[in-house]
Amino acid sequence: MKARATLFKIGLLIVFGAVLVLAPTVVPLSYLYTVTDVVILALFAVSFNLLFGFAGLLSFGHAAYFGVGAYGCALLLSLYPSLPVMAAIGAGALAAAVIGGLIGLICVRRTGPYFAMLTMAFGMLVYLVAWKWRGITGGDDGFGSFVPATIWLPIVGSFKSGDLKLTYLGVLAVIVPVMAAVWATLAFTPYGNAVRSIRLNEERAAFLGFNVFAVKALNYTIACAVAGLAGALYAIAHDFISPQVAGLEMSNDVVMMTFIGGSQSFFGPIVGAIFFVIAGDQLSAVTERWQMIMGVIFIAMVMYVPGGFIGGVAKLFSRRPPSVSSSPRVTQWA
Amino acid sequence: MDRGGGMLSAGLTTFIFAVLNSLGYGLLLFLLSSGLTVVFGLLGVLNVAHASFYMLGAYLAYELVQRTGSFWLALIVAPLVLTVLGIICERYMLRRVHALGHWHQLLLTMGLGYVLLEGVKWIWGTESHPMVVPEILTGSINIGGGAYPIYRIFMSVSALVTLGVLAAVLFKTKLGMVVRAAVSNKDMVNALGYNVGYVFTGVFALGAFLAGVAGVIAAPMLSVYPGMAADIGVDIFIVVVVGGLGSLKGALIASLLLGIFQSFGILIVPDFAIFFSFLLMAVVLTLKPMGLYGERAA
Repeated sequence: MKARATLFKIGLLIVFGAVLVLAPTVVPLSYLYTVTDVVILALFAVSFNLLFGFAGLLSFGHAAYFGVGAYGCALLLSLYPSLPVMAAIGAGALAAAVIGGLIGLICVRRTGPYFAMLTMAFGMLVYLVAWKWRGITGGDDGFGSFVPATIWLPIVGSFKSGDLKLTYLGVLAVIVPVMAAVWATLAFTPYGNAVRSIRLNEERAAFLGFNVFAVKALNYTIACAVAGLAGALYAIAHDFISPQVAGLEMSNDVVMMTFIGGSQSFFGPIVGAIFFVIAGDQLSAVTERWQMIMGVIFIAMVMYVPGGFIGGVAKLFSRRPPSVSSSPRVTQWA
Repeated sequence: MDRGGGMLSAGLTTFIFAVLNSLGYGLLLFLLSSGLTVVFGLLGVLNVAHASFYMLGAYLAYELVQRTGSFWLALIVAPLVLTVLGIICERYMLRRVHALGHWHQLLLTMGLGYVLLEGVKWIWGTESHPMVVPEILTGSINIGGGAYPIYRIFMSVSALVTLGVLAAVLFKTKLGMVVRAAVSNKDMVNALGYNVGYVFTGVFALGAFLAGVAGVIAAPMLSVYPGMAADIGVDIFIVVVVGGLGSLKGALIASLLLGIFQSFGILIVPDFAIFFSFLLMAVVLTLKPMGLYGERAA
């Protein structure tokens, strides 16, 4: 039974991968922007779920690190235009890891609502810095045109920036291995087990000899680094950034897409990002009030489908009667 | 300008104004954070939409003043509407997801705040609306040679009156006693035959009511705009983190401290006063990780 389910999942992944790679040949060029956003936000949502689904910590300020990555990458490129783009992207992720690591030292000491409030306050702080530090960040107007004329991204090699297809494929070539690495780390390493055990029972994990604080801080730092990477890729893909990339709305969006997709599965946030961006795009063509609809969908899911999309589907197919547990406990990561 | 007898030096006047401003903003923060912290103490729910209730109160007041011209009517009706909204939220939404645990309640209030924000943008647009003050509250009075707006004084006084009534009910009546008992041990209060469910609903509605009052009285001074929830939301979160979640005393002290930091911050570095709140939070959390009065909170 388990083998069949695994085969099914692998098949699904292959199909999904093929769709991603073939997307630029199928999708109209004008829509490729949106598809690029989908994969970038999927990475962002996965990084958020490292905290939320995986470590049981709800952050209301995760966009801060997306923003640090985006600004770090963009500022470096505008200061040193001859820098390789990949180096700037890496530096953006590194900047997010350093700043996130420091903020994490304060935040991960607390759990539950305290953690949520602290991350929100620090998220606001980063947003305000981007907004107020006009001399460096361009303030509210944001800044753009920092991507050099010719850029190099893995797999696709050198190409003229502005080529949507190659940008998309290059971004994908960065994202897929990172996602795979994150997934493998969570599923197969002792480190993944340590984080999981802390989420399930922090006290017991401490008694077993885990350094709970260090593991949590490391997990927070990794989540920030991956968010920073997503932010840096966003900056490259858009060639324009403004404080909005670090704002509360962005932080809210990532909470919503992760929950809608299903936080108890590694792939939930990816599904959520696909739904959120594409449905948002379609809805916004029909009505200006698409965010209202998204909010109502979110509330309805919180109330009636607490496992999100993937949780809901899994429940439909599960033969066991629904368990009456007070909190979601078991997490399948594979 | 007349530099006559009863006049104080400009520096001292500025100082007095800053003190009055700190008090005004601090009390406004306490109107909001008191509801937030009591709801958390009792229901264990961090109501992320609390600042959105405040925003909705301000918008309702704006609409009522536009339609009827009466600020006083708005001051009564808007908080009542929010009370009803609070009752609906607690009974039909939060209670439903209670069994699913903390996260779902937190996420639910987050979604609620999101929908309220989109709702006010939909109905009233994204621009900022100025709100007119009733005639009697316009103008200013002379304090130490400077003109201080009467409305700011009215704001502080009405916040004080509201909080005074609240304190009297909470600490001097039997109802207040039941509420306080429920905060410290709800199961015991339930076993004693009180309907804790009603207490939950009532306290949540009271929090919404206070947020509504705060919204109405803040509207003429801060004007009415969609970002107002996020702006004050971060401040009240900082207040409850600094004061200790669940502690009224902590919220009061932290609110006043934050008011002082903000008002004097504006005098010293006008552009960066907003960072003073974060500075306060960082300092307190370094010295007392649980907040000033947060020992009890888990």
